[in-house]
Amino acid sequence: MGMGSGDIITPIVIGIMLGGLYALIALGLSLVFGVMRLINLAHGDLVVLSSYIAYALLTYLGLDPVVGLVISIPFMFILGFLIQRYLLGKGFAVSSETPLIIAFGISLVLQNLNQILWTPLSRGLNTSYTHASFFLGERQFPATYLLDFAAGIIVMLALRLFLTRTYMGRAISAASQDKRAAQLMGINTNRVYGYAFAVAMGSAAIAGVFLGMTFPFTPTSGTSFLTIAFGTVIIGGLGSMAGTFFGGIILGVFQTMGGYFLGPASQMLIVYVLVLLILAIRPTGLFGR
Amino acid sequence: MERLTPIAVVVVIAVLAALPLIGAPESWILYVFLFLVYLAMANMWNLLAGYAGLISLCQPAFLGLAAYTMTVGTWVGVPWWLGMVGGAFVAALFALAISVAVFRLSGVYFAIGTLVVPEAIRMVFYLWRPVGGKMQGAGAGYMVKGIGNLSPQEIYWLALVVAVGSVLILRGVLKSRLGLGLAAVRDNERCAASSGVNVFRLKLYTFIIAAAVTGFAGAVYYVYQGYIEPSATFNVKWTMTLLLATVIGGIRTEGGPMVGTIVVVFLYFLLARYAGYSLLIQGIILICIMLVSPQGLVGLARKTAVHPLARRITTLGRKAG
Repeated sequence: MGMGSGDIITPIVIGIMLGGLYALIALGLSLVFGVMRLINLAHGDLVVLSSYIAYALLTYLGLDPVVGLVISIPFMFILGFLIQRYLLGKGFAVSSETPLIIAFGISLVLQNLNQILWTPLSRGLNTSYTHASFFLGERQFPATYLLDFAAGIIVMLALRLFLTRTYMGRAISAASQDKRAAQLMGINTNRVYGYAFAVAMGSAAIAGVFLGMTFPFTPTSGTSFLTIAFGTVIIGGLGSMAGTFFGGIILGVFQTMGGYFLGPASQMLIVYVLVLLILAIRPTGLFGR
Repeated sequence: MERLTPIAVVVVIAVLAALPLIGAPESWILYVFLFLVYLAMANMWNLLAGYAGLISLCQPAFLGLAAYTMTVGTWVGVPWWLGMVGGAFVAALFALAISVAVFRLSGVYFAIGTLVVPEAIRMVFYLWRPVGGKMQGAGAGYMVKGIGNLSPQEIYWLALVVAVGSVLILRGVLKSRLGLGLAAVRDNERCAASSGVNVFRLKLYTFIIAAAVTGFAGAVYYVYQGYIEPSATFNVKWTMTLLLATVIGGIRTEGGPMVGTIVVVFLYFLLARYAGYSLLIQGIILICIMLVSPQGLVGLARKTAVHPLARRITTLGRKAG
């Protein structure tokens, strides 16, 4: 990821596009936190689960990953609803840390299930276009990065539309702002949380496909991407879709700039320092509530 | 009957201490050693997360810093045992240093902040070679020097001392004014603060104590290993093990970490050949525990144990039956 050339524009553009992917991954995490104040520790692994599902569809059915979304989005949607309804939701009744620990348990189960099913070998989603590249002027970039960025913008806008224009979306927003007031207005908050999580899983399904097309993944990739998603959400602000998107861009650019100036080994260090700084100065993030 | 429990405890410790002497297989010694190290750290994690409400995910930073201090010390002539003490001290200092920043964060943000710290430190140790020449490729690993004449048994006994010490320290803290203050803070932080409890200082002392003991246990572990490098040391796997052990056993119970660590190490031992299954099972157990019996196995035993002996064991000799 660190470009050795003297040209600074390339890393900046790559950082922006990569930021789109990071935002795409982080949107679900941000939504869940904004609505339920829950840090879904299993989010990264759920994204990677979607990558594996796409891999299975590609390998055994020859389905193009994006086409395969027709299957995986509903699957992840339902899975998300069930997880929230029967695992996390029950946890909320016990204490505020219980859902966190349950999410951690889910993460463990997913990682190890994937490891048993797919071996630790790294996999990738390879189609006719995943190795293509495009040109901006004289500079060459991987095509998947542009696809990621486009997907990030589309999903972010779709989520914003959902939250502001549909009944369920507005119910979700209401429940996240003031649970009791929402209940008084006749909103079944338990069901709303279920749908919120389901929607977040739908976006995770999309994220998994694009992740798989961009980078190779292993059963434990979820943890690294969870950290990046965390960083994105912290920087951009929890609960704000647009904020998460910009957070992703900022993180992506910081990462590539770190790699450009300090070498590839220091990329993530810059990101961690940035996250710690934001936590120290403005924990709600740049655009958060 | 009240005196039965301390005698039982002494017997158990004596048996554990005697294991290397009676010719137990070396793999057993290794697993018990792991159990002892994890127990010490789990007790401290329980103190932080269960009793002080600090869901700290930066234990790897403490144990790693202490272990690195000890290791680097051996390269500049400091004997390993002195380096261990120094390491614990460094870990405690580090806890002090980050406390100002992280205690401003509450709940979930505290967890995130402490999660990032070991990752950042791992990067630092990838890039920074305190002593010794440049290494080929990445890694920045170090051999621990000056331990040639140490036998595994001696380190094993040291681990036993650390584990027992951690139990005593935990007990000591909980029975002291610090423990009383922590209980008050846990019940209602604002109330405690207005009653004159210095919440920040309480949390700070707890943080420092936990960091020092965790660090010391980490240094003991790495003396046994003989080699340290950043990616395995500052790894979230440590946190995972401690969390699993404490929660499965029973968070906020004195016996919880002990029971939980036994389960974790036992599963690890049983399923060592089947990569992934042990953690898969632990994940499932964790989810079930949280839904069925949030107080862990100890809580489950307390609720269902009718036999007074079982109840006594799970309350570890405290007066209330």
